[in-house]
Amino acid sequence: MTNHWIDIQFSDCILAMGSNPASNHPISFKYIQKAMEKGATLVNVDPRFTQTSSRAHLYAPLRSGTDIAFLGGMIKYILDNNLYNEKYVKFYSNAPFLVNPAFRLPGENDGVFSGLNGTKYDKSTWSFQKGADGVILKDPTLQDPNCVFQLLRKQYDRYTPELVSKITGTPVDKLLQVYKTYAATGQNGKAGTILYAMGWTQHTVGVQNIRAMSIIQTLLANMGVAGGGVNALRGESNVQGSTDYALLFHILPGYLRAPLASLPSLKDYIEKSTPATTEPKSLNWWKNYSKYITSLLRAFYGTNVAPEEAYDLLPRLDDGKNYSWLSLFDAMYKGEFTGFFSWGQNPACSGASSNKTRQAMAKLDWMVNVNIFDSETGSFWKGPGMDPAKIKTEVFMLPCSASIEKEGSITNSGRWMQWRYKAVNSPGEATPDGELISELFLKVRELYEKEGGPLKEAVTKLTWDYGPKDAFGRVTHLDAHAIAKEINGYFLEDKEINGVLYKKGSLVPSFALLQDDGSTSSGNWLYCNSYTEKGNMAARRSRKDTTPIGIYPEWAWSWPVNRRIIYNGASVDPETGLPWDTEHPVIIWDGAKWTGDVPDGVAAPGAGRPPFIMKPDGVASIFGPGLADGPFPEHYEPLECPIDKNLLSPQFINPTIRRFDVGGTELDLRATCDPRFPFVCSTYRVSEHWQTGLMTRWCSWLAEMQPSMFVEMSEELAKLKGIGNGDSVVVRSVRGEVDAVAIVTARFKPFDINGQTIHQVGIPWHYGWVTTAMRKYSHDDKKPEVFTFGDSANLLTPFIGDPNTMIPESKAFMVNVDRKGVK
Amino acid sequence: MKKGMIKATDAFERIVHWSLAISCILLMITGLGMMFHSLNFLAVPVGGLKNLKLIHNFTGLFFAVSLFFSILMWWREAGVFSFPEDIEWIKTAGGYLWHVDHVPEVGKYNPGQKMFFITVALFGAVMVVSGLIMWFPLSLNMNLVRFMYFLHALGFLVIFPFFFVHLYLGTIGSPGSLPAMVTGWVTRAWVKKQHPKWLHEMEESGKLVVYGEEKKPSSHHA
Amino acid sequence: MAEYVKLYDGSKCTGCRGCQLACKQWNQLPARQTRNTGTYQNPPALQPTTWTLMHFQEVSNGNGVKWFFRNEACMHCTDAACVKVCPSGALHYTAFGTVGLDREKCIGCKECIFACPFEVPKYDPATDKVAKCDMCQSRVENSMIPACVKACPTGALLFGEKEKILAVAAARAKEVGGDATVYGDKFVGGTHFVYVLPEKVSLYAKLPEKPRVPLTVIAWKDWLKPLSLLAAGGVLLGSFLHYIIHGPKSPDESGDSSAQ
Repeated sequence: MTNHWIDIQFSDCILAMGSNPASNHPISFKYIQKAMEKGATLVNVDPRFTQTSSRAHLYAPLRSGTDIAFLGGMIKYILDNNLYNEKYVKFYSNAPFLVNPAFRLPGENDGVFSGLNGTKYDKSTWSFQKGADGVILKDPTLQDPNCVFQLLRKQYDRYTPELVSKITGTPVDKLLQVYKTYAATGQNGKAGTILYAMGWTQHTVGVQNIRAMSIIQTLLANMGVAGGGVNALRGESNVQGSTDYALLFHILPGYLRAPLASLPSLKDYIEKSTPATTEPKSLNWWKNYSKYITSLLRAFYGTNVAPEEAYDLLPRLDDGKNYSWLSLFDAMYKGEFTGFFSWGQNPACSGASSNKTRQAMAKLDWMVNVNIFDSETGSFWKGPGMDPAKIKTEVFMLPCSASIEKEGSITNSGRWMQWRYKAVNSPGEATPDGELISELFLKVRELYEKEGGPLKEAVTKLTWDYGPKDAFGRVTHLDAHAIAKEINGYFLEDKEINGVLYKKGSLVPSFALLQDDGSTSSGNWLYCNSYTEKGNMAARRSRKDTTPIGIYPEWAWSWPVNRRIIYNGASVDPETGLPWDTEHPVIIWDGAKWTGDVPDGVAAPGAGRPPFIMKPDGVASIFGPGLADGPFPEHYEPLECPIDKNLLSPQFINPTIRRFDVGGTELDLRATCDPRFPFVCSTYRVSEHWQTGLMTRWCSWLAEMQPSMFVEMSEELAKLKGIGNGDSVVVRSVRGEVDAVAIVTARFKPFDINGQTIHQVGIPWHYGWVTTAMRKYSHDDKKPEVFTFGDSANLLTPFIGDPNTMIPESKAFMVNVDRKGVK
Repeated sequence: MKKGMIKATDAFERIVHWSLAISCILLMITGLGMMFHSLNFLAVPVGGLKNLKLIHNFTGLFFAVSLFFSILMWWREAGVFSFPEDIEWIKTAGGYLWHVDHVPEVGKYNPGQKMFFITVALFGAVMVVSGLIMWFPLSLNMNLVRFMYFLHALGFLVIFPFFFVHLYLGTIGSPGSLPAMVTGWVTRAWVKKQHPKWLHEMEESGKLVVYGEEKKPSSHHA
Repeated sequence: MAEYVKLYDGSKCTGCRGCQLACKQWNQLPARQTRNTGTYQNPPALQPTTWTLMHFQEVSNGNGVKWFFRNEACMHCTDAACVKVCPSGALHYTAFGTVGLDREKCIGCKECIFACPFEVPKYDPATDKVAKCDMCQSRVENSMIPACVKACPTGALLFGEKEKILAVAAARAKEVGGDATVYGDKFVGGTHFVYVLPEKVSLYAKLPEKPRVPLTVIAWKDWLKPLSLLAAGGVLLGSFLHYIIHGPKSPDESGDSSAQ
């Protein structure tokens, strides 16, 4: 989230699209409700009528996987009707930038951008024109045909309401109603917010879905303001934290890049990673990159290893190789792994095309399953279709503590780091994950020290000062505060900065003081300022607030530097410094400094510093050449779709996705426009269960409320297939099948797609065979108090991901539904 | 036993009557204990209302059986009015309420007793049926069950006062009646006063059993 | 003690069922095996182990579909049929105006089950007792709001002093407009659980439009019960008067001897 949960109440128009906050983020509705009580409009766009729709003022249906067409139409509407904030666009975005004249848009280039070579783009034409001084050429009048603004207009001129309606199935009048309602937030003093979730990310165009909305938010001056922003409702309470701490393969903590094999030295790495700008007034905050990586290396290896040597100890990625989930499981399926730690996850149900992930695990020699309950993963070898006698994988179960059984912090969607105290002891042998990791580390280190091994120092020289130690120097008990302090960072020597002396061993007050000379450490520069000499900022619980926009600066702590609304420098007029919304100012210039929220990179009013300081040029990227699949979002059909052509262009699907189905295994199959699988299917969640249901299916109260896999379908489809409400049915895709109970509902309606009737169905993905009544329970197996019914929805989903993130396309694929026993 | 006493009831009759009386009293006491919070204390000796409920329910079964035999046994003699003498009797209220020189002669059971019997039989059955439904109501229609509660209360309204009338007339209000229920032997004078017609009939048919006398063979039965 | 009222505002409810779960958690009510029957609603109805239940109901017309949610729990009537019929006093009025249930006193007679116009009390064969929402008496007595209200994220459930909550409800119904009404304040002496319903009452499944203490219960408890005492008393008095005025109907001793 660029903003935070409390902030939603200051919105004038809330667009819930690709999300179902009423069901899946129930607490968010506290603030949505508050906003509505103040007169805000709730707009909901979703393939089915959800609990959120039931509360929305305006509901519009769309076919799964057509969000870019929908949003592209909105961009056109905003531009055609001059509903954008011209000053904001001119000063705060790259709209005036002149693009390379050789650049071609999909509309004039067979549906792809210029430079496509196989499945990869040569991005040389996705560049800006530069003057002799190296500064980007701009047209402040936004009239130049090569300027970003005109290209944007040209790109979305094709997205007429009529054509969009044919693609999305949304009636034209509904489309225009949504466009009109949302575009009204472009007025000064109005703010619109987007609440999105996995409904947008889990597509082969996932990142571009969000890009499309970012462009809209920029046009309407909704970035940086109270009640605005682009807000991802995270699927898990600490997903924000886990990405901040580099859960993903391509980053290090604080979104630093994972080192590549082609960057042999720290110097090379820093040079390659630090963006440069020729824009004279741009702050280009990432110019400090060297400080953050150096401080991180100091946190890893302390002062015993010079930063340059420490860099040499870091693992490298092979250039161009993808190590994301789909690639890893593909490799596992092909037998390229011997061992696997399945830590706090349930791949047997959460992985796309779960039959493949289940088969993949059977190729391992060993697997360590760290979790709080037995799962389809830990017991995969005795699951449906498995012959335990033929599976060599040795599985170790390490029971771990639940979140309430240990101390530490989580970072919520609003980037708040909130400290949590331990509430209860863990049952039995369950141990906090941190302790497990610590024990594992100490053992591995001991083995390295004893037996040696490649790059031995990478392990043996790591610092590990996370709590009291025994006589052998081993940590006996992990201290969450020690870890939190290391993350914040220390001065490793006495250091004078701007005339202030910081003592060795003291905590660094803010990342602005981190150094690249090795004098500071920080485990995650974004979190520098979270645990200072003033104490644990995340543990603060003051309800004091002097702002009119619910900043509550002393409640917990938010990255970066306790800023609650990022890009807030854009909430004021670039010339006068006055807030666009005088009722809900985020920052206020008091003549000498900014008050309110922690200002984001903004200089004195009228100083001309562009406020998007994390972008090299300081402005929001309407033209975003950084992505793999295009500088503007373009509609492509999902990998599996019900129609045989893309109505917008000759290019059917996203040309840059990695196709596992081409030359893939029998579990990577694709069935598009296949009469055997005529219905669009989307997966989703219910309020009662969480993720694969691993934690919730074992809770009898939750299982009682939602005991069963179900499939929701329209009354029309049910009639067509002779299915009655509550009937037992089988949902099949080309990759697998799953039993379900039919919920026949008026909340699903068939779509009219280009004159063709297209049916869509939906399934929750929380179920799994481990908690069912049908399976065999041996005497020492835990039995659920309330059995659930059905297996994972991911048995059906395609093994395909977004080209930028590799998030699987679980939200749009093709299935068939039949009554049980009917084929 | 005095010589000359007349046998009014046989042992079976007396057992059935006692069963009915005792169960009825028990039902009324336990019922009252549940009907009025102020009478909840009636449950104390049996260890609480829950036991009281159980006693009430099972006594109800006992009552049902007793009622069944009562009806089987008495409906011919007490369940059918005979004309015109019963009408005549009713016109004089049997001489119970005002002075009547000559009370019309009636059979073994006078119309008052017949009315009592019919009422008890009818409302007893109502109590049994409604009580059973109240005991096992869960799968039954809501309105039907609600009506049963009403009927049970209505039955009580009728039977409760009737019980006292019966008690009074069977004891101090009609001296000499009680032995009919206790030993079965009553005095000739009492029979003559209460059921003169029955006495004549019995004597005529020679069925009258008199203590200390050989039963005369009936002239009508050859 | 002040009278308290709980409000369910259907126009603010998102059907998240936090209330249903919180109720189970606070009251430590076990779950039962359920199955999906083609609706999100589960268990299908209130149970001895489910005292608060979210109803899910779809209503579709030409203009699309509406999804109604409704929180069902004891309505805590001022004139409560269940209290009227309860033989043991297990069901009783509390100092807050709500209807408490003393499970120790319940004898499992099931009379309340059929008296309640909302069909709230449920019989549990395992314990031979009935069970229902007691508006978290254990919490309210300790200055805490009911668990369901505490759990509600949107403010659809509110709890407070009667006058205040009823004013909030009336204002909200007016604000929502259209067919929105307050449900609960106009019958059975006013309930202590009231609804703001955004749609016509008649559209909601299994919600009585004009709930009342059943006539049979009134006839039984208010008429027949006192009447039976009166009648019995009358009979006793009558018998006494008969005895002393008219005298017993004694057998004629002379006639007896003459017949011999």
